[in-house]
Amino acid sequence: MAAVYKSLSKSSGSKAATDSEDAKNGAKRNRQRVLILTSRGVTYRHRHLLNDLAAMMPHGRKDVKFDSKSKLYQLNELAELYNCNNVMFFEARKGKDLYMWFSKVPNGPTVKFHAQNLHTMEELHFTGNCLKGSRPVLSFDAAFEAEPHLKVIKELFLHIFGVPQGARKSKPFVDHVMGFSIADGKIWIRNYEVREVEKTKADAEEADKGKKSKHGDKDTDVSLVEIGPRFVLTPIVIQEGAFGGPIIYQNKRFVSPNQVRSDLRKAKAGRHNARTEQTRDRLAKAGKLGLGANGAKKEGDGLDTRELFA
Amino acid sequence: KEQVEEEHEDDDVLPDAPAPAEDDEDDEDEDDSEDEDDEDNGVDLSRLEDLSDSDSDSDDGGNDDDEDAEEEEEEIDIDDLSPENSEDEEEIAASTRVRQTINNKEGLLASLKRFALDTSSKVPFATHQSIVSAEVTEEAIPSVDDDLQRELAFMNQSLEAARLARTLLKKEGVPFTRPTDYFAETVRSDETMEKVKAKMIEEATAKKASAEARKLRDLKKFGKQVQVAKQQERAKQKRDTLDKIKDLKRKRQQGQSNVGEKEADDLFDVAVDNELSGGKKGGGYAAAGKKRAFGDKGAGPNPKRQKKDSKYGFGGKKKYSKSGDAISSGDISGFSVKKNRSSFGGSHGGAKGPGRPAKKTKTTPRLGKSKRQAAAGKR
Repeated sequence: MAAVYKSLSKSSGSKAATDSEDAKNGAKRNRQRVLILTSRGVTYRHRHLLNDLAAMMPHGRKDVKFDSKSKLYQLNELAELYNCNNVMFFEARKGKDLYMWFSKVPNGPTVKFHAQNLHTMEELHFTGNCLKGSRPVLSFDAAFEAEPHLKVIKELFLHIFGVPQGARKSKPFVDHVMGFSIADGKIWIRNYEVREVEKTKADAEEADKGKKSKHGDKDTDVSLVEIGPRFVLTPIVIQEGAFGGPIIYQNKRFVSPNQVRSDLRKAKAGRHNARTEQTRDRLAKAGKLGLGANGAKKEGDGLDTRELFA
Repeated sequence: KEQVEEEHEDDDVLPDAPAPAEDDEDDEDEDDSEDEDDEDNGVDLSRLEDLSDSDSDSDDGGNDDDEDAEEEEEEIDIDDLSPENSEDEEEIAASTRVRQTINNKEGLLASLKRFALDTSSKVPFATHQSIVSAEVTEEAIPSVDDDLQRELAFMNQSLEAARLARTLLKKEGVPFTRPTDYFAETVRSDETMEKVKAKMIEEATAKKASAEARKLRDLKKFGKQVQVAKQQERAKQKRDTLDKIKDLKRKRQQGQSNVGEKEADDLFDVAVDNELSGGKKGGGYAAAGKKRAFGDKGAGPNPKRQKKDSKYGFGGKKKYSKSGDAISSGDISGFSVKKNRSSFGGSHGGAKGPGRPAKKTKTTPRLGKSKRQAAAGKR
């Protein structure tokens, strides 16, 4: 059905024609392919997230689990093998923490994120739905243009999450929006379905009166319903090469989850230690005052061992 | 050179490298010659490995390519060790203890340029379909922990983007709206959507049920008040009628000589007596008149009601109230040891078989209550 529709809609059906059109526009044709894979040790939640993202990326290729966690440069070869120019790699550590690596394969930058607050599409409080393989509208926060490292991140997201025009398994209509926002130094990612609703009378009147239809005044207004998945990314490091190379950005506000856990444990231990120290001090003080368990200190004679061998 | 020196003064931590224009070839030459110098000075290079500038704007000579990795560090080392920056050495030593953060803005922008797509207005929107919002979303969020406001802000950002995208795509003639007869695979399966629907229905019904329950509870409370008020009123009426009856009875007893009463009154009294006794004497014209259609409810309340009334009504039973209470049960004054001590032989001899209980030896019959109480009083 989709193929039929595509063939009917495309008047000039060949790639060459579209290429020439693009060349006229002065831009290279956008070709992206993403290699999507995980490391070993992923939990069901990470796996579901991966499946959800892979379903929304028709220009992506899901691959088997990648064995190594240290020799990530091998991913470059793998991507070249599958003719992909982007890699999205999920690294799970300790079966709890999920790190995401986004990279442009031949020699582009690599960004490493720490993913938190994962909610997959299976959750029942997401009520939206969209076509599998439809091209999304990517909505970036204005804050992405503020810092150079955020610009790099934005560009990577554009390449990886944005479905290129004319991708093989893509569907024609636009029915979902992917929102990237920055809050508290982290990147929040949300997916919404675009639903067209009847414009209420008030809106219609307003449109008639005031601003002339810049917004292609149809009878319908757009409303959003969340689809999922949703997650929060904390940028950790940006490397100049693909899974290697010098570090060109490091986030100083990032605290590794291991650090957080160890701090918690130390705090607990600290409380106990503080209390035992306090008891010890109290006992020593009481003993000095003669209130201790041994009662008042006896006046020993000079030959008392404790005094001789103090 | 002057330019270089100016940059030295401005910088806090580390001196700047030479201007970016010269770039790669020049740097390589310098570094090679001064490499040996670095090692001779015995500075711990491994510690200075990740050295870079602080967040303030600084250029490392625009080291883009991978092979410039070491050069970045070496450049810094050279500058550290050059004699003109002796006053910075202490600062450098101090700062190396703190974890250096790297924010190589030049490098970032250079690498960005290498792979960025053109998303300006020159290319048709449909190629990239990305929109950068006009306002910073974080400013619309009062507090990051407030889920509602935060999600609302995110949704508004995406909503604006969606609206804008719709107009842009419409202008370019790209189809935006999905027609209702277009069926294709969706990212969430049908069963998931069924589950979602079921959950929503469940939520709605639960809400409705709880609202109903609350309404009923409130009604019940109100109804209880009404009931209590009604009961009180009924009790009052009953009290009034009883008083009236008592008066009438008294009058009747007193006025025995009054034979010449009107027949109606006499009948009325009969009827009253019948009601009081709860008896089935339904006689009398008035009573007959009062007789209901079904059964002998004219005799008064039904038997169950009468029984309960006799037990609990009008202040409850008055006769045997002290009969089995704690004090009277605990009173063992009527218990005499002599009387109850039966002879052993008698009881054993009485037993014929294994389970046959022995007959009690005859004891003197128990005295009556008044005699017993009198005896207790004497003692």
